[in-house]
Amino acid sequence: MDALITAAGLVFDPSVLWVIVASAAFGMFVGAMPGLTATMATALLVPVTFFMAPVPALGAIVTATAMAIFAGDIPAAMLRIPGTPASAAYTDESYAMSKKGELDLNLGVNLVFSVLGGLIGVVILIFCAPILAEAAINFSSFEYFWLALLGLTCAIFMTAGDPLKGLTSLIFGLLINCIGIDPTAGHPRFTFGSVELLQGISFIPAMIGMFALSELLRGAVSVDQQGAVLAQKIGNIFTGVWAVFKKYWFNFLRGSALGVAIGALPGAGADIAAWISFAVSKRFSKTPEKFGTGHIEGIVDATSANNSALGGAWIPALVFGIPGDSITAIVIGVLYMKGMNPGPTVFLQNPQFIYAVFIIFVLANILMLPLGWAAIKSAKQILRVPRNVLLPIILLFCVVGAYAMTNSPYGIIVMLVLGLIGWLMEENGFPIAPAILGLVLGEMLEQNFMTSMIKADGNAMIFFERPIAGVLGVVTALIWGTMIWRGMMGRKATLAPTEPDPTPGT
Amino acid sequence: MRANDAINGLILILLSVAMFAMTATFPAFPGQPYGPSLFPRVLATLLVICGALLMWRGLAARLAGARWVEMAPWTRDPWRVGSFFLMIVSLIAYILFAETIGFIPTAFVMLLALFLWFGVRPVVAIVTAVVATLLIHWFFATLLRVPLPRGLLDRIL
Repeated sequence: MDALITAAGLVFDPSVLWVIVASAAFGMFVGAMPGLTATMATALLVPVTFFMAPVPALGAIVTATAMAIFAGDIPAAMLRIPGTPASAAYTDESYAMSKKGELDLNLGVNLVFSVLGGLIGVVILIFCAPILAEAAINFSSFEYFWLALLGLTCAIFMTAGDPLKGLTSLIFGLLINCIGIDPTAGHPRFTFGSVELLQGISFIPAMIGMFALSELLRGAVSVDQQGAVLAQKIGNIFTGVWAVFKKYWFNFLRGSALGVAIGALPGAGADIAAWISFAVSKRFSKTPEKFGTGHIEGIVDATSANNSALGGAWIPALVFGIPGDSITAIVIGVLYMKGMNPGPTVFLQNPQFIYAVFIIFVLANILMLPLGWAAIKSAKQILRVPRNVLLPIILLFCVVGAYAMTNSPYGIIVMLVLGLIGWLMEENGFPIAPAILGLVLGEMLEQNFMTSMIKADGNAMIFFERPIAGVLGVVTALIWGTMIWRGMMGRKATLAPTEPDPTPGT
Repeated sequence: MRANDAINGLILILLSVAMFAMTATFPAFPGQPYGPSLFPRVLATLLVICGALLMWRGLAARLAGARWVEMAPWTRDPWRVGSFFLMIVSLIAYILFAETIGFIPTAFVMLLALFLWFGVRPVVAIVTAVVATLLIHWFFATLLRVPLPRGLLDRIL
């Protein structure tokens, strides 16, 4: 209880609240601009949060991402262009509603169910994380090795596309992570005598490159193609939302629950949660024929799911240090920089930080209601910001952000090289998220692998001897077996539907 | 630019073979078979397998009539190709010149060049470039105390 009061004191500090409101506005803007994703918002925020205390830093990220995931719905309804990939699943449906003259209802439902879905995600996070942390406190290197491997396996299993390319991307990320001083023996690897490569590939510049720069490169070649905003006046967006809730409350609960579950699986974030819950909604609907004609039902499921996925993704991130999506992958980098190594011990040593994250999550979702309303009301102005002015400014922001992480041009070089690699990967259908997971988890995986190997001294069975390690190991092996078997049968081993292009994170 | 998976696979195989070869120089520890080379070697081997599978698939696609390299539609428009390379060139120019000339002039020129190329009206472009440069400088250098290179303006700032 003391920790809770301390946490509240940390959050309800005027300067922290100011940071939260400012990052909320930032998140709304980035989310509403097509081509700028929620992950990109996080990557751009990190250099700024680097200079803050842990609580405002986490507050900024939590708030900005929650807002961005909702704000992505606005251009989806008004321009038929999703603001973030998380809204892509129901963009056509939303736009069809707008064309029928139901733009107000659509935006109202998106806002209200985003808020509610987000809150459900937080509630489940608050209940599950401490319980899991208690179990995780006894884990040894064997359990962590299997957890990291299981997390990476999920990342491949969940990619919306080609599992082989997902696997390739993951191993590539792990190999990049080997650059620098190796974690067990302290020997420099693949540094070519460079002093700067000794510290390894700086994580944040790498993220800015892969998520922001590659996106800017894609934007640069279509800078003159800005969608035309629907010339519809926006009235009272809350009319009729209650009726939708009464009719589709079950969809809301199902979407939120699915969102949390998918968010908690490593590698799958809000975008995949939206695709799957939309598909589930259609599959079990009493009126599947209405889907595609501007029907609200699937939107309720999916818009709740993508916001609840955000909370879900924090569960493995806080408890095990294994990110649930690309946003929490960045968060884990931030936590390490702040000296708060994510894992069950944080719950014992720094419970006030954990509670602060919970409080900020609740606060951000409540704040979303008025701010979202304001964003919808001013959507036409936001969507009119010319991209040819925005793009160069964001590029400069990336440069300064990458520089700030290393205080040398090394950061910018890392950003440029990995940005180009990321761009090429996306062009060739290799998803980026697994590579980032590899970069984040590489050190943990290697360290636990090496420690376990030395402990086991060549006896592979020891990896399965402890009960939880054994279960995790068997589950991992089973998933691999299924994937390989399915691959042999010539079927795609993906859960997500294959219509969307592999989207760059959330 | 979408290359045939055979090409992607070949690049990956070459990369992992090179990395595997480099691990040979890593020291081994007496009495312990697991050294710094173990993990990269496991990964490089896995990547060779992935690359081989990709090559196999790419060659099958090639036999079915797919091209070696498929260029996106925008590559046929010189202005768009220019936009793409200008972004990269401006980054390289920043890396090369910012340390000596300083952040403010480099960033201003970089923004102005990009604005004008993307078709922003000259007056708007100059004003926005000045304002954006100074704002970002104020935010990072003054507020967050990032040591942005001062360069030529060292005496004034």
